[in-house]
Amino acid sequence: MYGIEAIAKYNGWAISAVGVSIVFTGLVLLSLSISRIHKVLDLWDNRNNIQLFKKKVVKDPKPELPPFTPNEKASARQFRLLISTMDDPFSLQRLLHLAKISGLERPHASLDHLLKARIIEPDHQGHHLFNSEAFDRFVS
Amino acid sequence: METLFLDFFQNTGFFLCDYRNIIMILVGMVFIYLGIAKDYEPLLLVPIGFGMLMGNIPVFKGLGLGIYESNSVLHYLYLGVTQGVYPPLIFLGIGAMTDFSTLLARPVLMLLGAAAQAGIFITFLGALALGFTPHEAASIGIIGGADGPTAIFLTAKLAPTLIGPIAVAAYSYMALVPVIQPPIMRLLTTRKERLIRMEEPREVGKREKILFPIIAFLLCCFLAPAALPLLGMLCFGNLLKEAVVTERLAVAARTSIIDSVTILLGVTVGASTQGDVFLTTKSVGIFFLGALSFCVATACGLLFAKFMNLFLKSKINPLLGAAGVSAVPDSARVVQVVGQREDPTNFLLMHAMAPNISGVIGSAIAAGVLWSFMS
Repeated sequence: MYGIEAIAKYNGWAISAVGVSIVFTGLVLLSLSISRIHKVLDLWDNRNNIQLFKKKVVKDPKPELPPFTPNEKASARQFRLLISTMDDPFSLQRLLHLAKISGLERPHASLDHLLKARIIEPDHQGHHLFNSEAFDRFVS
Repeated sequence: METLFLDFFQNTGFFLCDYRNIIMILVGMVFIYLGIAKDYEPLLLVPIGFGMLMGNIPVFKGLGLGIYESNSVLHYLYLGVTQGVYPPLIFLGIGAMTDFSTLLARPVLMLLGAAAQAGIFITFLGALALGFTPHEAASIGIIGGADGPTAIFLTAKLAPTLIGPIAVAAYSYMALVPVIQPPIMRLLTTRKERLIRMEEPREVGKREKILFPIIAFLLCCFLAPAALPLLGMLCFGNLLKEAVVTERLAVAARTSIIDSVTILLGVTVGASTQGDVFLTTKSVGIFFLGALSFCVATACGLLFAKFMNLFLKSKINPLLGAAGVSAVPDSARVVQVVGQREDPTNFLLMHAMAPNISGVIGSAIAAGVLWSFMS
């Protein structure tokens, strides 16, 4: 038996169609699974940071700093002048010393105020930096 | 004395020789020539070619010398082919030497390996139409997978009498990949398409590589359990390689084991091509259908790549579709060569390895599917 007749007799069309479908299904499934492996592994590595499993911590809103008074602004400007004479980053003790010998009023309180306003920021290596952006926002 | 001399002469190859043995010896010599002088798959063609010389020395039947005589040494070695022992061992070695990174980096290229397997089923239909039985047709169709071990494995299960012609056809066409594929590739693609550059693949992590053989094995074998011997060994070999701690086993699998088995497989398959058994009209049909199968598989891969480009944002070079046939790494190399003819700075080899490797998996699944349908 030959030709289409032989194909039909031996169920050739169905075998071919199902065979191709199975090969395709197998490789498509494999392709989909392996395309997700790295994402699953990333998820596993960062499982501690997944929001779903993390306890929600309600944070208190940070109190807004009240605006600087004219006296505080004047004091901040004097501190900026002193800082401009120093190295960058500078020592807070040295700045306080300079403020005292320059006769600035209530230097401790003024300096504390500048730190709270983040006009003076720690560099986390024992020294401090002047934040001109914060200065402009609060003082200028 | 004269009688003794006459008896001796009647037992010599010169007396027993048949024109079919001479033809097969010449074919064997051509194989050896192609392997050594042209460097076409020498690791396969040289053993097969020499096996053809061994199998076509005319011997007196009953002395236990021929491969088809049950008490001969060659017959015992040939049991590895007929019982389907050698192909899984070769797959073990292939797994231990294959890096699946490119496949893991861009899994969508796996579909090209699936598309190329359509050639197997189209040829299956062609073989049925030409009058082959379903078992024979399935064994002939698998030649389109361009995977020698898979073709031998399936034929050993379904049509053991055709192992010789099918194995020789499969390996011949695998060796002739650089000759068969380029004209089809140029015919079915435009120059603009051949110039497409592929995106750099992402870096693949070690854990992904270790997980891949396990996932691939479980998924494919649950879907097509008959692919178990081939895919199981392929994935196991790859796990040995990627696990690092089993490096010694991986080295053994990809060197001594695969080399020994390739020698035994090549020589015995070659020796099975005895002229009187091999040179039949069926063999001619098998060679014709094998070539057709190979061409159709290549064309299916190329056309499917073009079809995928209709939907993909980042276009793929359709030449990669030709690597969907599982002749590893020859068809990937051919893609590289054809691509570089258009643009010498375009490197497609590593991208072509993805459909090439998925072709190996696809042809093993196709073999499993055909086996389960026929048994």
